[in-house]
Amino acid sequence: MNPLEVRGKSRVMLWLLLAVTLALYGFPFIYLLLTSFKLPIDAIAVPPAVLPDTWTFDNYIAAMSREGVVPALINSVTTAVLSTVMSLVLAVPAAYAITRFRTPSGRVFIFAALITRMVPTIAIGAPLIGVMRDLGISDTTVGLAIAHTTISLPLSIWLMASFFEAVPDELDEAAKVDGCSRLQALRRVVLPVVSGGLAVTAIFAFLASWNEFLFSLLLTSVRAQTTPVVIANFQSQFGLDWGGMTALAALYSVPVILLTLFLQRHIVAGLTLGAVKG
Amino acid sequence: MAPAAVFLAAFVVWPLLTFVYDSFFEIEQFGGGRTFVGLDNYGAALASEAFTSASVRTVIYTLIVVTAEFTAGLAVALLFVALGQRSATFRTIFMYPLMIAPVVAGLLWRFLLIDNFGILNQLLFEVGIISSPDQIQWLSNPDIALYAVALPDIWLTTSFITLVLFAGLQNIPGEVIEAARIDGARYPRMLISILVPLLRPVIAVALIVRGIDAARAFDIILIQTDGGPQGSTTTLSLLIYRTMTRFGEPGLASAMGTIYLVAMLVVAVIAVTAIWRPGSNKS
Repeated sequence: MNPLEVRGKSRVMLWLLLAVTLALYGFPFIYLLLTSFKLPIDAIAVPPAVLPDTWTFDNYIAAMSREGVVPALINSVTTAVLSTVMSLVLAVPAAYAITRFRTPSGRVFIFAALITRMVPTIAIGAPLIGVMRDLGISDTTVGLAIAHTTISLPLSIWLMASFFEAVPDELDEAAKVDGCSRLQALRRVVLPVVSGGLAVTAIFAFLASWNEFLFSLLLTSVRAQTTPVVIANFQSQFGLDWGGMTALAALYSVPVILLTLFLQRHIVAGLTLGAVKG
Repeated sequence: MAPAAVFLAAFVVWPLLTFVYDSFFEIEQFGGGRTFVGLDNYGAALASEAFTSASVRTVIYTLIVVTAEFTAGLAVALLFVALGQRSATFRTIFMYPLMIAPVVAGLLWRFLLIDNFGILNQLLFEVGIISSPDQIQWLSNPDIALYAVALPDIWLTTSFITLVLFAGLQNIPGEVIEAARIDGARYPRMLISILVPLLRPVIAVALIVRGIDAARAFDIILIQTDGGPQGSTTTLSLLIYRTMTRFGEPGLASAMGTIYLVAMLVVAVIAVTAIWRPGSNKS
């Protein structure tokens, strides 16, 4: 038991305090959900009401039937999956090499990778427009996924390095004695041991791409547009359609929230490890 | 390591070099003509009031966000620790905003704060804190808009600080706390003299990570105010974006961006090497 744990009567007060804090903290999103079930006219009523007068799915149907919304949702999923795969394929061998060979260049590399996380997004995004054009992948999901990978790769390398660090070298050595090559040892012995870490890294790469906005805004116009960009355009194009906006926003958030609740232990591991180490 | 290095070189380092290179040219956005102008863009950037005030705003915004998050995050982390293992479920609930896209969070808060039908003012009015539901013009009063646009950022990531500090608090050896208690240390004293100093590395990491992200904030502000009213929420990211796309001056935008980039890297490298020292416990 943690010695900072409070016992006795003041515990009740603390639980109460926690309940109030959580209620305040959760209110904005709950209000968003409730609004998404209101009639469009009730969403902008003065004074505003918390609960819908009439519950309706109309906002969801209207949002989904808007031009470009369904393709944007598909683009978001495809881009995030592609970017996650790229990030893992590049990060796993890099992190493995860094932790196993322990060369000075490896240390420089991991530090450099960390520094790339501190670059203002606009300073990479703007010139990437030209790079994507030169590669012939302007406004494609692949191009956008590459851009998103520049964000998730440094963190992925850092996370994977921490997980590999926790696996003793002896395990690789034993595999080599049994006749495995380095790569076989990595694939058959080490990777299964760090499967939890692999999951953490994948979740973070996915979330980074799913929520990213500036690259998506700069690098896509029609074909590869993702949902955050559509959500942002919503307000300029349709003025005060708060019902539709809240429905789309809810639709975009709820799957990842559910996924997160399901995988919460992994997320906490990644956040604390990612933060403390990288 | 090589494939990852090649990838980062091609899609991070190369674009960055292009970006810095562009800053020495006057570029016509359409037609692509460019003239070498040396440091003229830098001179223009530093002389422009828009750039200096956006820099100041970026610093203020970062300070607001990080201070608020740290204070709230530490308070909640201590609350979770005080309640022990049984708070596990609540910790999970507390974490959910981290999964919400910043665009969605910005939109949501714009909706909560909107002048005529925003629920926040209505609630403040009903509780009796303000005298009319449109008394506070959160996002349209230039004097307070910069504080108001920081709210979703704070809401979105306080849980990150909480989680990191909570993890740090779990690692403090119980004997240290017991000893302090036997010496008669009360809670505030213990917090200032024992807990915060022991948490210093964790705090440093949390503040650096959040500080850097807050200084880059873009989507959250764009969607709430688009930099307005009267430019009062135009931070560096927004100014550079606008200079590049809307005003059509990529050269000037690149010079502004390069100054911003260098400033961020200097702060980051100092912070990382002096306080954080990642990997120093390894090998």
